[in-house]
Amino acid sequence: MISQDFVRQSGGFQRSQNRVGNTPSPLHIDLPLLVGVLLLCGFGLFVLNSASDGDQALLRRQATGMAVGLVVMFAVAQFSVHFYRSWSPTMYTGGIAILILVLFIGVETNGARSWLDLPGLPSFQPSELMKFVVPMLVAWYLASRPLPPRFKHLFWSAVMILVPSGLIVVQNDTGTAIMVAMSGIFVVLLAGIRWRIVISGFIALLLASPAWYIFLAQEHQKNRILTFFDPYRDPTGAGYNIIQSQIAIGSGGVYGKGYGNGAQSHLDFIPESNTDFILAVLAEEFGLLGVLFLICLYMFVLVRGFFIAWAARDMYSRLLAGSITLTFFFYVFVNMAMVSGLLPVIGLPLPLISRGGTAIVTLFIGFGLLMSIHTHPRSRVA
Amino acid sequence: MGAKWQLKDHEAERRLFVRRLMLAGIFVVLLFAALIAKLVNLQIYQYEYFSARSDGNRLHSQYVPPARGLIFDSTGKLLADNQPIFNLTVVREQVEDMDKLLAELDKLIRLTEDDIEQFKRRLQRNRVPFASIPLRYVLEEDEKSKIAVNSHLLPGIAIEPQFVRQYPLEALTAHSVGYVSEINRDELDRLDELQRENYGGTNHIGKSGIERTYEELLHGTVGYELVEKNNRGQVMRRLDRTDPVAGKNLTLHMNSELQIAANEALGDYRGAVVAIDPATGGILAMVSKPGFNPNLFVTGISSADYSVLVNDRVNTPLFDRTTNPYPPGSTVKPFIGLAGLHHEFVDYDFAIQDPGYFRLPGVSYRWGDWTLRTPIGGGHGHTDLQRAIFQSCDTFFYDLGVRMGIDTMHDFMAQFGFGDNFALDIGFARTGVLPSREWKRTSRGEPWYPGDTVNSSIGQGYMWATPLQLATATAILANNGEVVEPRMLKAINGVPYEPEIVNPRPNVVVEDPDYWRYIQESMTMVVHRPYSSTFRDNGTAYEAIAQKDRNMPYLLGGKSGSAQVVSIDQSILSSADIEVSELNKDHALFVAFAPALHETIPPRIAVAVFVENGGSGGSVAGPIAKAVTDAYLLDILKLDFDGDDEPEESRALLSQAND
Repeated sequence: MISQDFVRQSGGFQRSQNRVGNTPSPLHIDLPLLVGVLLLCGFGLFVLNSASDGDQALLRRQATGMAVGLVVMFAVAQFSVHFYRSWSPTMYTGGIAILILVLFIGVETNGARSWLDLPGLPSFQPSELMKFVVPMLVAWYLASRPLPPRFKHLFWSAVMILVPSGLIVVQNDTGTAIMVAMSGIFVVLLAGIRWRIVISGFIALLLASPAWYIFLAQEHQKNRILTFFDPYRDPTGAGYNIIQSQIAIGSGGVYGKGYGNGAQSHLDFIPESNTDFILAVLAEEFGLLGVLFLICLYMFVLVRGFFIAWAARDMYSRLLAGSITLTFFFYVFVNMAMVSGLLPVIGLPLPLISRGGTAIVTLFIGFGLLMSIHTHPRSRVA
Repeated sequence: MGAKWQLKDHEAERRLFVRRLMLAGIFVVLLFAALIAKLVNLQIYQYEYFSARSDGNRLHSQYVPPARGLIFDSTGKLLADNQPIFNLTVVREQVEDMDKLLAELDKLIRLTEDDIEQFKRRLQRNRVPFASIPLRYVLEEDEKSKIAVNSHLLPGIAIEPQFVRQYPLEALTAHSVGYVSEINRDELDRLDELQRENYGGTNHIGKSGIERTYEELLHGTVGYELVEKNNRGQVMRRLDRTDPVAGKNLTLHMNSELQIAANEALGDYRGAVVAIDPATGGILAMVSKPGFNPNLFVTGISSADYSVLVNDRVNTPLFDRTTNPYPPGSTVKPFIGLAGLHHEFVDYDFAIQDPGYFRLPGVSYRWGDWTLRTPIGGGHGHTDLQRAIFQSCDTFFYDLGVRMGIDTMHDFMAQFGFGDNFALDIGFARTGVLPSREWKRTSRGEPWYPGDTVNSSIGQGYMWATPLQLATATAILANNGEVVEPRMLKAINGVPYEPEIVNPRPNVVVEDPDYWRYIQESMTMVVHRPYSSTFRDNGTAYEAIAQKDRNMPYLLGGKSGSAQVVSIDQSILSSADIEVSELNKDHALFVAFAPALHETIPPRIAVAVFVENGGSGGSVAGPIAKAVTDAYLLDILKLDFDGDDEPEESRALLSQAND
């Protein structure tokens, strides 16, 4: 609360010092971001209501998850970004420790040994938290070094990213590992890593992918790739989800079949219609216009995230805000692209629309960090 | 550390970051654009296609099979009923692993190998997608509940109620009414496009008898139902329905009481009884014995049961004896005699001296009379036509036949339906053979020999006729020549059925109508003329019929016959657990009509009885015919043959014979 007092006392000075609207608010809430997130939540509940055939218990759980997420978001926003910055290494170390702990006492769900079920605490996935802890550490590390980062710094950044990702892969949760890695990579990209390194890394990945496919990929992963190229090679098996999803989207047309009238979803032709494939329900019932509306809502949040990153006054805040925003976009795009057949099927939910508690809270932590970055005054020490 | 801090150019780093951020923003926009392009492609350009796919997913047009028309006898008793049963059905498209499913089912209920084999055959047939295919018919109550409880383990499995045929008289109507059974590939192929559509929901089709002949009337018109199904094939909503039109109910001329009586009269013999109403041609009874239980065929006969039926080569239960031909033997004599009168080869006074055999001029071979085989010796002595009929004198007919010639005989007898199928709705009946020079030349490539005529004159040789033909001819004879065409169908949905006959067959006209009386009288003597002091003066069936029942309230006109067993397949003989002599015995025949020579009551029934290896026509087949006419006239019609109404003439005739 010290910082609040400071803001109130020196408000005029702060405003003139900042080129653009760093808007200190007594509650550390960024109103545009809050509005965008609330709209998404409301729309999400609305779609989920139809996708779940009006399952009230499920909707209550989802709404509760959102409420908890909002509270967490406010709480996270109350701390200055400098607090997170100074605690980044500690949090990272703690995170790694917990990940190792999970390897030993973790609980297995859906084949991934990634849950921690400690007495007195709600069970949670420590790997989720790493989606923020990793970019925090990488941002912390790179922000205090000259940019664009030198090779040595890139090497250490890579280590910081790969250690937790590797631990999560060992937990058998490749999807989350990729997301954690991406959140760190976004920081490095935004920090100005040279293009030739980016391009050579990309080429290396391309060259390595056949080797991965041949030697490392598991059967279901290979299937997903093959199905992506030709869903009809196994229309009732591996290709079923994407075929039915495309039928739902396509048959929605421009205007959709109307709320609650999605035959594909209500007759259970769409699998995972509450979770990963909820976009198909939306596209079927509200048509192209409905999807465009959702994209607009996401764009609103993304633009605000970019703005916060742009307006942030220190490199750590910029990198962190940029990474959080891009990670959020990555989620949105990968899910939408997978459901519409633009990418292979990867088990990722659609942020704020799909059912799922933990994932929602993780998202809100990200929004909380964005608000913290935007609403706390420049550190006197920085 | 400090040096590093100095090296940092905050403004340049910020610009670098902002450039990167802008680039990221451009990427975001580009990726969203690609996504929107994909959506536009799916939702606008491919909308029609996916819309159709979506409807195809959920909308299913289901056939609603019509109820098959019922079949009643003339008194309104059911001959073919529809009974509800519960079938186990499978929707192929919803089964992931058919073998696993069958194994799972086998744990719950009894599935024979036969069931599975038949089911696989049904699967082979190319039917509508998402159609439910029967796996087991007739589920018991406990099997139903076991499946219902475990339904979550059995995707694609359903219990469906269905109405199936049931034949209350079982074996008694197996050949005449016939039966329905599952449609097979060939039958489906035979249907044209429109009919195939009509059979979309139908599993069964008439295979024989009335069920087959009137399949079109009985089947009805299929209905449709447009339903919305979910991913698991459950019907969620009915969107539209066109009701099926039930098949038509048929009433037959058949009288089930008479059918039962005829069956009982046959006793343990193999044989056939056909009874016709001479006024209408309506088939009153049509029994082929032994029969089989047609109900077995409805829900798919097991191969074990079927092979029992097929391999019984002595009893041949699947063989319809009423519509297959045998040598008619002496039962044709009244018709040949009538031909002789009409064509003036004989008259009432004409007589021969019968030595017991016949010889063609210039041929040494003797054709013997049947009396030659009796212990008391051959010959009838002085024999006129009447005696030749009631004593069944072969020699008389050898002579008459030879003088008449085969072609005259053929043309006359053809008018009675020999060598032809007069029946309106028994298309599967065989026509037998009514030989002629022309017939022998075309079918055998051989000329006609005079000896052939001799054999034909007593209904042997090339002459073959079915019991149905014999009954028909007898009915025409009893009608004084008025031709009736045998028919099964009496009414459709209660409305009397009068088929339009394009080319009505001409009635039989003879030179002098009195000839009819004369022949009928001769036939009455076959049954009623008792023994007298005169040698061989009794009717051939007197002992077996009239002598046994001295109180017969009506006169029965009849004619016995026996036919030699042509040849027996050696394999039958070796496989049969029956005395060879039994199978070598003559087939016994008897044709009859009643009441004969009644002043007020015209003949109400004409019967033909065929008894396989029965031996004597008069003593074995005759009483069976009499039992049938008794049952019909006395028990069913309950006719009152008041003695006063009996024509004087016939009484006089009989008493004269009694002198």
